Amino acid sequence: MDEAIKNLTTRKSFGKSLLYTLPMFLLTFILMTGGRPDFSDRSGTIALLTTFLGLNILYFLMHYTGKTDKFRAILFIVFALTLSFTLIKNTIDIRQTMTYSQGDILECNMPFCHLVIPMLILPAAFTQSIIYPGSILGGFASISAMVVLWLAASVTLGRGFCSWGCFYGGWDDGFSRFRKKPVIRKISDSWKWMPFAVLLMVALTSALALAPTYCDWICPFKAVTEFEQVTGIESAAKAGIFISLFGGLVVVLPVLTKKRTQCSYLCPLGAINTLSNKVTPFTVKIDRQSCNECYKCVQVCPMFALTNDDVKNGNVSIFCTKCGKCVDACPTQAIHYGIKGVPANRMVKFSRNLFLFVSFLFIAVFASGSIITVIKSIVNLFI
Amino acid sequence: MNKFKMTAGIIWALVCLLLMIILYFGLGSFSAGLAKLPFMKLNPHASGGEIAQQIAMENCTLTIRKPVFDGLFGERKKGFVQVDWRGNIPEIINDTIDYNMDNSPDFVIGINRLEDKVNLVALNPNVRDVAISTSTSRGWAARVNIYNEK
Repeated sequence: MDEAIKNLTTRKSFGKSLLYTLPMFLLTFILMTGGRPDFSDRSGTIALLTTFLGLNILYFLMHYTGKTDKFRAILFIVFALTLSFTLIKNTIDIRQTMTYSQGDILECNMPFCHLVIPMLILPAAFTQSIIYPGSILGGFASISAMVVLWLAASVTLGRGFCSWGCFYGGWDDGFSRFRKKPVIRKISDSWKWMPFAVLLMVALTSALALAPTYCDWICPFKAVTEFEQVTGIESAAKAGIFISLFGGLVVVLPVLTKKRTQCSYLCPLGAINTLSNKVTPFTVKIDRQSCNECYKCVQVCPMFALTNDDVKNGNVSIFCTKCGKCVDACPTQAIHYGIKGVPANRMVKFSRNLFLFVSFLFIAVFASGSIITVIKSIVNLFI
Repeated sequence: MNKFKMTAGIIWALVCLLLMIILYFGLGSFSAGLAKLPFMKLNPHASGGEIAQQIAMENCTLTIRKPVFDGLFGERKKGFVQVDWRGNIPEIINDTIDYNMDNSPDFVIGINRLEDKVNLVALNPNVRDVAISTSTSRGWAARVNIYNEK
């Protein structure tokens, strides 16, 4: 058994890890600099190099230590924090406030985010138009660019988007790591179907109202990005809902349960991404022969994607976001990244290397812009 | 069959690897391509509707948009018409609007920008009330709720 585990370990030597990092090093450098590095701005150069090195050190450590989740989570949480900062900074630069007015809506000046996508589908099909008051192409966070990024990530990573691309998921993920042990342990597994109910509700109401109802009334992340200026009872009620849902589902419940409760109970895009897990070639596999049924994977899964029965059957459910927490926690390496069609316990290293490259490249380039913005702002305070 | 599945899985994974590498290099052209698709245009509920009339005034331009009654499956009984003022706008606006272009005024809208007060005088029974009256980066905009004449 020990020999088998040794053979399966995804840890690599220092040199081999460097070699595996080299393609990421080159690609991220080209993509982050646009192929034409400009070092004329001092704070910009410091921010660019810090981000670039930080990202590649994380990727190197994933190979060197054989662990995934710890290093993914650092980047994922930093992405969430820096993106919120960048969004708020942009909003304040343009509007001098974190709130948006009805004028901004009428002028279609609203930055687009991927959580709007579930509300666009029915109106786009029936009215051949987009109901979100944003920019179709060009400008900050255009609808076309965000849809392309989400589509590509969903096809390649499936629900992996929720752990390797969603710039809101990092908030949940971060708060779910606050305590060592959960205070609330028993949570009904059936709650994981809730996002489908939310999806149905927001898709229908948005189609009927021809307005993005989730953004208008529910989205907890309005609390850390931008929200409607409070001018009356309705806007005050909306602000109350945003803050309550953020406090409850993104802060308090993740701390108490060690689960990503907003992602698991509310997010309508999470429901769609669950279905995209059927498309992606990447998955998490359980090798029944090496599994000792300790169920550590079930305990650590933050997304209700694993039950004891799933482990006994050797299946990971479609709710999996491929965060890697179960993979890292498994004492026998029975659970690992895999490719569909390839049996469990075969091509383990190849599958992990391929998955890590695809998923890390996506988040690294996606996150780099906001990380650079934040570091540059910090550096500018001192220069 | 298993070997076929395995090969197909690996090929699909490699295709995804290629897709991810070209994604960021081609993001601009992919986005531009997507934006050309027929459904990639703003719904009138978001954009305010097509511009129907533009009237040059002393220091600003008054833009009256086409009435919006769009619903998911057809036209609704209730809708709105959006009016924009752009340029050097006076502190008190008082304009007569003919949104259906039948050469008879439909409503008179008075806006006191300093006190953020709006007054609507309906001259057409289909005019209901003011839904939104707000400042914009270029001036001022108002949406007036109306009934569909059809």
